[in-house]
Order: sequence, then C-alpha cells, then structure tokens
Amino acid sequence: MRDTRQGDREPAYRSGASAAREAELITRIAAGDRKAFEELYNLYHRRLARFLTRLTRHFDVAEEIINDTFLIVWRKARDFRGDSQPSTWILGIAYRRARNAFRSATRITAGENLEGLLPPLTSNEPMHAEELRDWLLQALVQLPAEQRLAVELCYELGYSCEEIATIMNCPVNTVKTRLFHARAKLQKLLPALGGTAPPDGKVRSSDGGAR
Amino acid sequence: MSSLQRSSVHDEAWLLLPWLANGRLSSEQQVWVEEHVQSCAKCTEELAVQERLCEAFTAPDRVTYAPGPSFRKLLDKLDSPSSEDVERTEPRVRARAGTSRIRQTLWRPPGFAWAASFILMVGMTAIIATAYRWSQPAYVTHSDPVAAAHPGVLHISFDRGVTVGEAGEVLRVNGAQMVDGPDAIGVVGITPAKSTESLRDLAARMRADPRVRWVEPVDSTNDKQQVKNRGY
Repeated sequence: MRDTRQGDREPAYRSGASAAREAELITRIAAGDRKAFEELYNLYHRRLARFLTRLTRHFDVAEEIINDTFLIVWRKARDFRGDSQPSTWILGIAYRRARNAFRSATRITAGENLEGLLPPLTSNEPMHAEELRDWLLQALVQLPAEQRLAVELCYELGYSCEEIATIMNCPVNTVKTRLFHARAKLQKLLPALGGTAPPDGKVRSSDGGAR
Repeated sequence: MSSLQRSSVHDEAWLLLPWLANGRLSSEQQVWVEEHVQSCAKCTEELAVQERLCEAFTAPDRVTYAPGPSFRKLLDKLDSPSSEDVERTEPRVRARAGTSRIRQTLWRPPGFAWAASFILMVGMTAIIATAYRWSQPAYVTHSDPVAAAHPGVLHISFDRGVTVGEAGEVLRVNGAQMVDGPDAIGVVGITPAKSTESLRDLAARMRADPRVRWVEPVDSTNDKQQVKNRGY
C-alpha cells in the first residue's frame, strides 16, 4: 500500500533529476540565458495555469500572475541559493502573487452562498470524477483564499505539509489547520463527496461528530 | 494504549490523511498513519474521500494551456522600458523603505533617540553661538590690556576731515613716526621719530595739534590718567 501510493502520487516534476535540471536552468537564467528561461517557463506554465485558473476562475488573471511570477524569477534568479527545491521557490513566489491578486480583486462577495452558485444536487449517487471536479471548482470559490491555496497545493500539486508551509511561509500546524477546515467545508458543500450525503447535511469531524 | 492516547493518535492521523492520500507523508508518518487507518473505520472512510479528492484534482484537464502566447507577452513586458524602470527603481524604493524603517526605529519613544536629539540640540546651539561670536569683531577699547601689546606707543586719532597727506604732515611736524595701524576706526600707533625723545613730550605736542582728535598713551601705568584727560 505504502510503496504504491508513494510511487503513484510523487509528481514527476519533483523528482531529484527534475529538481537538478530546474536548478541548472535557474543558474543559466541568472546569467541572462533566455532559452533556459523559456524552458523553465514551459515546464511550469501548464501546472501553474491550471492551479491558478482554478483559484481565480479567470485565465487572464492566472496568466498575469504566472507572468508576474516569472518576471520575479528572471530578476531574482541569482538570489536563488538552493535552500529549497526550485519548485517550492517558484510556487512560493506564485503563491504571494496570487494572494496579492486575491486581496486586490474580491470577486466573491461575502454574502454569496453555494446555493446560488451551484446547480442543485438531484441525487445522493456518488459523482463521476468529471462531475465531481466541476463541483469542486465551484465549491473552492466558497473557501477563504488561504484554505483554497492549501487545498490546491496538497491535492493538485501534491506538495507535502512541510513544503506547503514553506511556500505559504507559515507553520506546519497552520497548514494542517487550514486543510482541516477546508475539508470540513468541502464536505458540507459536497455531501456526495463521501459517496452518500449525511441525512442532516452536517459535516463530520475527526471524531465522527456533526458540526 | 489508553483511550486518551488513541484519541490523540486518531486526531493527528485525521489531520495527516490528505498527505497519506497524495503520497507525501514521511516514511515514519506513513507507517503509523496507515496502521491507525487499518484499525479505524472513520479514518478509512475519510481516506477514501481524500483519495477521491486527489483523483478529481489531478484528473486530466479538458483545457490545454499553451504557454507560447503567454511567454511572448512576458518577453514583451521584460523588454519594455517601463519594466527596466521598475527594475531600476525597485532598489531605490527598498533603500528608501530601509532608511525610513531606521528613522522610525530611532524616533520611536522612549529610547536613545530622545537623549541623542537633546544632546544634538545642545551641541548645535553651542556651535551656533560660538560661530556667531567668532563672526563678530572683538570688542576692545584702546585702554584694554590687550591693546597695550606695544608699550611705549601712542595711539592717536585724527580729525575726520584730515586727509592722508595732512596726517603725514602732522606726524612729520611733530616728530612722530607711525608704527601701527590705522585700524578699522582710523586709530594709528605712533612713536617719537628720535629715540631719545620721551613719549610724554610727543603726547603733549600731539594733543596741542588741532588736527588730532585724541591721544592715548598705551602704557598701562598712564591708562587711568589718560582716560581722565580725554574727558569722555
């Protein structure tokens, strides 16, 4: 179970060889190599575009954040000392840019609720992956920005708790707490997530009690 | 294991389930969390939920994001002069921010800043006062001991209407020679032209000359007397 899970989930872009290659690209970028810059950009564009488009719900906003991130990568490449993985460093920059974008553009108003945003559930049948993903995209919008980012970094980008703490520049326990609350809210928003909806629609906590 | 310990293990395992699902727990954590999950129905159920979430998030996207156009936009931004300006101004902005932080720290009361300000203020006042005093002409009278640096010299002042030529004539006629001055107010120091002549005789002759306004021997012994003689 352990080996399979580790092997299946470890994203290829965080393998040792990939990290070494990215570190080498960053060194070349520091020397002003635009080919290396383009290569690194292409490596990260898809995953950042997907991650940020989900967060912001607008590709143009996501693209702006990506380009702002890489503008900083271009300028600060010589400051990269290799204390962390290249992907953690780049995601850290993207995270701060995304957080600033969230602060300046409050697209979701406080009073907005899921009932007005999501189509009604017609049954308690388990969802298909694609259907679940559509619902998740809608549900994510309901989460506070910090929780949303933690969810994406964990589930989509597959970062460890410690890496997320580095990216978000917060203690490891804060990451666990953010994800705990995000999970509780997602379950409330997506009762079919667990297969069947709880009859009272309440969320289960770690002790099985309803919240 | 007590129920309290079991509860604590369960809570911690519950928090770590997302990373068990995404395969990013450390080996050590993975062993004990999996061990707990196998014996806990709630955690087993929750792990299934977490795995579904991971699957949903990592499922292939229906949208393909082409990096080319975005990268071209980035290069345009990179090459634009405004980007260079931003790059150049950033360190200045940071430097200004740094200076501002230092200034704020120094001025934060209470601290050394107030004491330093007070000392600085006192020092500045002293410097300004000294500079002002130095910039003013020294206030001395002709009877001051300082002025008696040349004993045996008469200080005289001519009438205002006396020209330079007439002044020279006065000195010549009275057998005097100029040894000092004239100073800022026209006072000159004189001595007898012949070394054998006394200063007193010369002073008498000079006083008798109507073109001489006043005569004052610098000799300290005569100071008080001369002031009296001057009559002012």
